[in-house]
Amino acid sequence: MNPHVDFHAFAPEIVLTVTIVAVLIADLFTDDSKLPARIAALGVLGSLVPVLTLAVDGQTRSLFGGAFVVDPFSLVLTGFFLVAGYVTLLLSFDYIGEGDYYQGEFYVLLLTSLLGMIVISSARDLISIFVALETITIPTFVLAGWRKHDTKSNEASLKYFLIGVLSSAVMLYGMSLVFGLANSTVLVDIHKYASGHTPALFAVAVFLTLVGFAFKVSAVPFHFWAPDTYEGAPTPVTAFLSVASKAGGFVALLTIVRLGFFPSGNSWQPILWVLAAASMTLGNLAALRQTNIVRMLAYSSIAQGGFILVPLAVAGDVRGNAAWQAVVIYILIYGAMNLGAFAAVIAAARRTRSAEISRLAGFGRTNPAIAVMFSVFLFSLAGIPPLAGWFAKFVMFRAVFDANTTVAVVLGVIAAVNSVIAFFYYSGVVRRLWFDEPAAGVELSSPRLPVGLSAAMGLMTAVILVVGVYPQFFARLGEIAFQRG
Amino acid sequence: MTVVLFFIFGALTIGGALGVVLARNPVHSALFLVLTLVSVAVLFLLQDAQLVAAVQIIVYAGAIVVLFLFVIMLLGVDQTEPFAEPLRFQRPVALALGAILLAEVLLLAGHRWATGAKTARGVGITGGAFGSNIQRVARVLFTTFLWPFEITAVLLVIAVIGAVVLARRSAQTPDSESESAPRSGS
Amino acid sequence: MQLNEFLILAAFLFCTGAYGVLARRNGVLVLMSIELMLNAVNINLVAFSAFTKNVSGQIFALFIITIAAAEVGVGLAIVLLIYRNLHSPDLDEVDQLKG
Repeated sequence: MNPHVDFHAFAPEIVLTVTIVAVLIADLFTDDSKLPARIAALGVLGSLVPVLTLAVDGQTRSLFGGAFVVDPFSLVLTGFFLVAGYVTLLLSFDYIGEGDYYQGEFYVLLLTSLLGMIVISSARDLISIFVALETITIPTFVLAGWRKHDTKSNEASLKYFLIGVLSSAVMLYGMSLVFGLANSTVLVDIHKYASGHTPALFAVAVFLTLVGFAFKVSAVPFHFWAPDTYEGAPTPVTAFLSVASKAGGFVALLTIVRLGFFPSGNSWQPILWVLAAASMTLGNLAALRQTNIVRMLAYSSIAQGGFILVPLAVAGDVRGNAAWQAVVIYILIYGAMNLGAFAAVIAAARRTRSAEISRLAGFGRTNPAIAVMFSVFLFSLAGIPPLAGWFAKFVMFRAVFDANTTVAVVLGVIAAVNSVIAFFYYSGVVRRLWFDEPAAGVELSSPRLPVGLSAAMGLMTAVILVVGVYPQFFARLGEIAFQRG
Repeated sequence: MTVVLFFIFGALTIGGALGVVLARNPVHSALFLVLTLVSVAVLFLLQDAQLVAAVQIIVYAGAIVVLFLFVIMLLGVDQTEPFAEPLRFQRPVALALGAILLAEVLLLAGHRWATGAKTARGVGITGGAFGSNIQRVARVLFTTFLWPFEITAVLLVIAVIGAVVLARRSAQTPDSESESAPRSGS
Repeated sequence: MQLNEFLILAAFLFCTGAYGVLARRNGVLVLMSIELMLNAVNINLVAFSAFTKNVSGQIFALFIITIAAAEVGVGLAIVLLIYRNLHSPDLDEVDQLKG
């Protein structure tokens, strides 16, 4: 009766959980803010080791009746989440350590959210996906409100919390109907059910589930919480929310659509189509009007979310795995670009003490190194070759052409128009960095950057340049993810 | 008998829910919430889901509502709130939700569930005896769903830590302006 | 006892909760309304579970109850924090951020 437990399969999660406990205990016995941070960073890197050994082993491990699966897909994404988590830690060290809000629990909460993400990449049933999603979001509610005396941060936290819980309730209502119809919570069984003739009620169930996910990935029209939360939260937390947490939502969405709802295309394709088109268009148009760099990046990440949804929306008409690969590749590249952009915002804010775009005028003359990397991230987000962003857009458009249906082509045209709009506001910031005169009274010189922040920016710049020039690297990861192990 | 009980407690559930959303006084809302939660627990018992019913009473009606009441009393917000002045976009949203509800109720009413059989009272799922529902739930919970169970354990610990971190008064000085306070070196 | 009766009851409960989320301005009451929606989900799950004799529905409900407790704990801590800074749990007062 005892369930068979394959501890090797769980090793990344176990290492991370042990790290969480270790950080908690270390924080209890020391006033030194560096020790918990070091343990956290070491633990995240340590969890990458079993990911590698599992990858070398190469065997697909399916446990608990198919509810937990370790396959190339889950390994690629686990690796991505751990690296993104490590970079977030690099961003946080000095921001959290130096501010007036230091508490060692910051790292504990960050790591727990990360644990939820690596659980979600191997979760293959509705209950595991739900529990993992909540493990991702509940710690981030607290992190968003980290600056406790700042009412803006409080507001960010409250809005994020109420929307997060509401979206869970809507999603669960949809999932409960899916369970009732398919008589199982395991995605494989739902896939079997969806292959047959499905009643109209299934479409309602899928609709409610996807609306819940749309809140989680802040797709238009369920996006309104994101800019406020991103602006109010501490900036490293915003980077984490906009990259890792959002990617967690997309991974769950991809898993549930690909392995669960897929055969019943009419129930999910129109919804994702509308979400993709609306997110790209409204996200970009709103980003054009922003004067605050964090809010601009918030709307930009909503628009980028729309681009990620494009291949998902046309996946039903694409043969093979091209569409799924496009989603994974886009997520990987988006993660590098956006983490880099937020790192640059943190670095710039240390100098300008402000998040207003106007205060960045002439920044390139006084701080050329930061400004060069900032420009790399922004141009990559805009999709300019030879930076990695172009390859993300390329695989997206390739999926659209593979689908080659009228609806897919219309969506492709919308995406193309939006790529052009996006170029304007990204390049607007770059122009301000390099060609505008510094505003009077802005003091731009200050002590040098902390090591963690510089390392994070350097690392992300390197990834963007290397992947932009040799896209085969991420393309291969995308292929591996959907190989049968 | 079960039909009568269903209608009594179904009505109480909806009545309590309306009380929660319509009561002017937050304390009354919390008490209406207890009514709904207990009625829902009875509905669970009607379907032989004893464990869920017990957990519903212990966790929801016991712990969660007490927490709600505690915060309401602590904040001293036990006075009435104005009930007018909704958000501008509220009406269209409420209308849209109403339309979705209507569509769904019609679908549910029209949907023929597999066999159209009555719910399985005392058959298969429980075998009748009180303990067997719990045994069956436990067997599946600790085999098939062992993994989410363990993750939930971590999550609960972290939720406690998070709540304490937010709620405790720290000795640190309020400094709302510092976007990031650079210090020399590092 | 038909399955549909439970499902229709749950649908009404869900929409009552959704109305509460939209209509109430007090953070604590919005959270209570969301609890109503989660109860609707649990009624659905238990009804399906009894109907199809598949016990995983009840387990899903147990997970939802447990995690709802965790959410309420964190949520009320946030409300408490806001009240301490603004002396009001009213959401309309919390509008520093545009949007």
